[in-house]
This record gives sequence, C-alpha cells and structure tokens, in this order.
Amino acid sequence: MEEIGVRETVRFLGLTFNVETILMTWLVMIIVITISCLAVRSLKLVPCGWQNFIEMIVEWLHDQMEAMMGRRGKLFAPFIVSLFLFLLTSNLLGLIPFLESPTNDLNTTLGLALLVIFLVHFFGLYFKGGHYIAHFFQPVAPFVVINLIEEIAKPITLAFRLFGNILAGEILIIVLLHLMPIWMPVPSVVWLAFSIFISCVHAVIFTMLSMAYLGNAVKED
Amino acid sequence: MIELNATMIAQVINFLILAAILRAVAYEPVAKLLKQRSDKIQNSLDKAEADKKAAEETLAQYKAQLADAQKKAQAIVEKAELTARKEREALVAETKQEIDKMKENAKVEIQNERNRAFEQMKSEIVSLSLAAAEKIVAKNLTSKENDKLINEFISGLNKDMLDDVK
Repeated sequence: MEEIGVRETVRFLGLTFNVETILMTWLVMIIVITISCLAVRSLKLVPCGWQNFIEMIVEWLHDQMEAMMGRRGKLFAPFIVSLFLFLLTSNLLGLIPFLESPTNDLNTTLGLALLVIFLVHFFGLYFKGGHYIAHFFQPVAPFVVINLIEEIAKPITLAFRLFGNILAGEILIIVLLHLMPIWMPVPSVVWLAFSIFISCVHAVIFTMLSMAYLGNAVKED
Repeated sequence: MIELNATMIAQVINFLILAAILRAVAYEPVAKLLKQRSDKIQNSLDKAEADKKAAEETLAQYKAQLADAQKKAQAIVEKAELTARKEREALVAETKQEIDKMKENAKVEIQNERNRAFEQMKSEIVSLSLAAAEKIVAKNLTSKENDKLINEFISGLNKDMLDDVK
C-alpha cells in the first residue's frame, strides 16, 4: 500500500529537499511556460481567434487589479498572472495518475504565502512609509496586538487552506480507489470531478486573497 | 506529513523564476500589444477629430467666400442695371428732344412752304388778273390808275381768297 505524505528527500549542500515536489514544480513550470508561449506565439495588432481570448483574460485581470489595487495594481499584474497559472496547473497536476501537485506540499504553499506577505509589507512600506506602520496602531494603540495576530494569520491561513484542500483531494482519490472495487468507479469519478472544481476554486481564492492583501497595502487612500 | 525544510526556499525561487520568464515571454508582449492598439485607436480618433475640424473650417470658409461672391455679383448686377437704366433714360430723353426738334423744324418748314406757295399764287393771280383786266378794259390807262386798280383788285381778292387758303 502506498504511503501518503511520506516524501523522498535528498540532501544537497547540507539542506534537505523534497525531490518529488521540486521535480513536479519544474514540470508545472515547463507546462505553464509552454502554454503561455503557444498562446502568445503570433500576436497581431488586429486580433482574431485565440488572441481574442488571451486579450480578454488580460483585460479582465487588468480591470480586477485596477479595482482591487488601484492605480499601482498593474505593477503586480505579471506576478498575479504567474501565481494564478502556477497554482491552477499545480492543483490540476495532482489529478493525473503518477503525478502529484506541488501544492500538496506545505513547503510550496507556505513559501508562496510568505512571498506574498513579504511583498505586501515591502510595497506597503515603499509606497506609504511611516503611514503604513501607523495603520497597525489604528484605531487605538492597543489594537496593535490584534493587527499583528491578523498579519501572522494571513500567510498561515493562505498556506494551509490551499495545502489542506489539495492534499485532502489527493488522499481521498487514493482512499476511494482502495475502498471501492474496480467495477464501481462512480465515487472516484465524482470525487475527481469535484477535485477539478476545487483545484480551480483554490487557485482563484489564493490569487484573489493575494490581490486583496497587496491592494490593502498599495492602494492610495 | 508536515515538515518544513529547504524545499520552501527552492519553491519560492522556482516561482520567482517562473514569474520572471512568464513576464518576459507572455505578459509583456500582450500588454505591449494592448497598449499599442489603444494608442493607435486613440491616435486615429484624434486624427479623425482634427480632420473633421479642418473640414468644417474649410466648409465655413467656402461658405463665406460663396456668400461674398454672391453679394459681389448682386452688386455688379445692380450696378449694371442702374447704368443701363440711366443710359436708356438718357437715350429716351435725347430721342424725345430730337423728335421735338424735328417737329419744330417740320412746322417751320411747313409754314415757309405755305408762305412761299401763297406768294407764288399771289403773283400768279396778279398776272392773271392783269391779263384779264387788259383784255376786258382793252385800253391803256395811266400807270397811276393802273396801280390803283390793281391794289383794289388785290385787296378785294384777299378778303375772299385768303380765307380759302388758310
């Protein structure tokens, strides 16, 4: 029986790496870059066919960012687009047999969540300076405790939500396959379909929350 | 199941590499293209607006010119009409004058002609009367009596004959 959650590790330069997660991440990167390259292969000034769809997505993202993050939102557009494509591909990858999602490893999700939170605070300070620090003490000074807890909770919730959902999805697929006889595939198929839905939803949630956090930090008052 | 290790750092670096590559190969071209297109459209709109304005200006100019030309033409026509009328009036007046003069001349000539005819007739009558008288009297009177007789005859003649002639 397959063991769940036990990871192969390699030691390199005195550091431990989950080799499968990293390999899957590289696979995801290759897929995302390949698809993106194909998508923007022949752009013309007068759009037709496939290009309309790409432009629609980019325009929609621009609008969303402008609405959530204000004028400086476009600065983060490439980051947000990459985040979304990476998470979506990662989440869906685990549904293919013999492959697993990079996002079923807490290292991936927490890494991304911490990166987002780092960017939030960095650009918050960069754009707003002292004003950004002052807003932690609003409305009165003692609130700093609650605000700090919130700031710490942000990356943790962001990371664990995604990690938990994706890992649970994959575990349940394995469990269902072992639980049901081979002639009864309905529960597995239903769960697989639900997992596809969950994968998309959580890619969107992670991206949207990142945008919201970044928006709070960089939006002009 | 949950263990954090250096994979986290590797994943962050992986993601940043991915983001950089995606930005370069996919996002920038699309964004650039969109920008280019919106610029182009804006330029076209601006140009169209400018062209329209220029066309309207030209039209207004032409209209003004046309109105001016029409006014000038009107003035010329009026002037020509005035001149023609004056000339005609002058001509008519001249003709009238000429006609008057001709009438006058004709009257004078008629008068002269009549006088001349009257004189001629008078002399003829005199000679006829003389001849008749010579034949009737058949004798030679003195020239004094002769003249007196003639004058009597003429004055008698005048009263009867001149009324007919006149």
